[in-house]
Amino acid sequence: MPNDRIKIKGTSNGLVITLGAGAWPRLVEELDALLGERASFFKGGRVALRVGARLLSTADIEAVGQVLSKHHVTLWAVESEAEETRTAAAELGLEVELEPRPISPEQSRPTAGDTILIRRTLRSGQVVEFPGNVVVIGDVNPGAEIRAGGNVVVWGRLRGAVHAGMNEELGEMAVVCALDMSPSHLRIGDYLALSPADDSRTQIVPEMAFVHDRQIVAEPWSV
Amino acid sequence: MSAVVITVTSGKGGVGKTTATANISTALAAMGKKVVAIDADIGLRNLDVVMGLENRIVYNLVDVVEGTCRLRQAMIKDKYLPELYLIPAAQSRDKTALTPGDMIELTNQMREDFDYILIDSPAGIEQGFKNAIAPADRVLIVTTPEVSAVRDADRIIGLIEAEGKYSSDLVVNRVRVDLVRRGDMLSTEDVVDVLAISLIGVVPDDESIIISTNQGRPAVLQNGSLAGQAFRDIAARLTGQTVPFMELDGHDSFMKRLSKLFKL
Repeated sequence: MPNDRIKIKGTSNGLVITLGAGAWPRLVEELDALLGERASFFKGGRVALRVGARLLSTADIEAVGQVLSKHHVTLWAVESEAEETRTAAAELGLEVELEPRPISPEQSRPTAGDTILIRRTLRSGQVVEFPGNVVVIGDVNPGAEIRAGGNVVVWGRLRGAVHAGMNEELGEMAVVCALDMSPSHLRIGDYLALSPADDSRTQIVPEMAFVHDRQIVAEPWSV
Repeated sequence: MSAVVITVTSGKGGVGKTTATANISTALAAMGKKVVAIDADIGLRNLDVVMGLENRIVYNLVDVVEGTCRLRQAMIKDKYLPELYLIPAAQSRDKTALTPGDMIELTNQMREDFDYILIDSPAGIEQGFKNAIAPADRVLIVTTPEVSAVRDADRIIGLIEAEGKYSSDLVVNRVRVDLVRRGDMLSTEDVVDVLAISLIGVVPDDESIIISTNQGRPAVLQNGSLAGQAFRDIAARLTGQTVPFMELDGHDSFMKRLSKLFKL
């Protein structure tokens, strides 16, 4: 039964473990059991994980990495269709493509200059943390949070919390743009702005927020 | 035959998950489908009461999983419809009595024999919710047009997406047309706007639901109930039919149309 959701295949890139649907901690437990059963087969090997569209944080990936290393198996890649999962894997220095790519892992790690594109709605409880710029095509709902080293652009409604310019070099030079700027809580570098208690806007226009004269101001974006 | 597993969930409590599960299950069975409704709210079971089957419970979901009884023994046949069964929750246990794997295994055992398996999820985002969601092919998110319920629904949708499941539909329950018209309640459009998932039903706030819940006879079995009609429409949409959304704005004219229909 558990093997329905965990598939192990040998490929030209070594062993590939595909993890299907189900709660992540439970899958990790099942994988643990599976590796235990066939310890001698796996010992000393290196594996790649294929996780589909699942969203994983660095902590989730570390958890599975620990289970694998307990069985003396090395995790070298996490392949996923979800950008966040790929970013988390890249932050841990793992490969995100099973096919070998010409660039070295050092170069593929995100830096303050990189930008991540998120093409979906960020929902309550979801957190995107990225050392570079964050671009969202979709809404950022109340209760969602973006923490970016650089700038944040939201092509949609920004109603969650944003911290831009977490990277010290950029800091208060960062900007936050949104088609509908009504964040619950906006930080740029060390500056903080809370949304006004009542929304008295008569018309919603795209705005850009930045630090001016030691406080955060938002100005309509006009062409 | 391979059943579709549909989990009904919401995040927030008291928005009508159990009512929706009972009514949609009953409506599907009334359409001639073979249906099982599973109450996954271990420790706070309700679905049996709403379906009027409380005093027929001998075995429950936890008994099946623990092997105390066979699956068929825990399946209670509905009072009104021959192809509808209920697997009740255990009342003296809690959510940790089950695992997501148990639920997947259980539903897999039934898939061959049924068209639809509906799972009534408990409120919250903890173990009980994870159990209920694990086997789902489709998820119905129930919310009411209140900011707090919509927030919780948003969180739940995010958690479901994180499990790699993307087939969620929205049921907006307990809509009060008079309040929406006065601008004192979120409209269905407002809710869909925030949650950005497809709408599968809008259920008006209707006192027939309270009466039918207390009687243990789902509102879909009553002809005059507006909410019952809304749940029948949801069931039809689940089977792939295209059903236009009820004209809730013309509440009066709809009632008139309905009463005209029955005079014929």
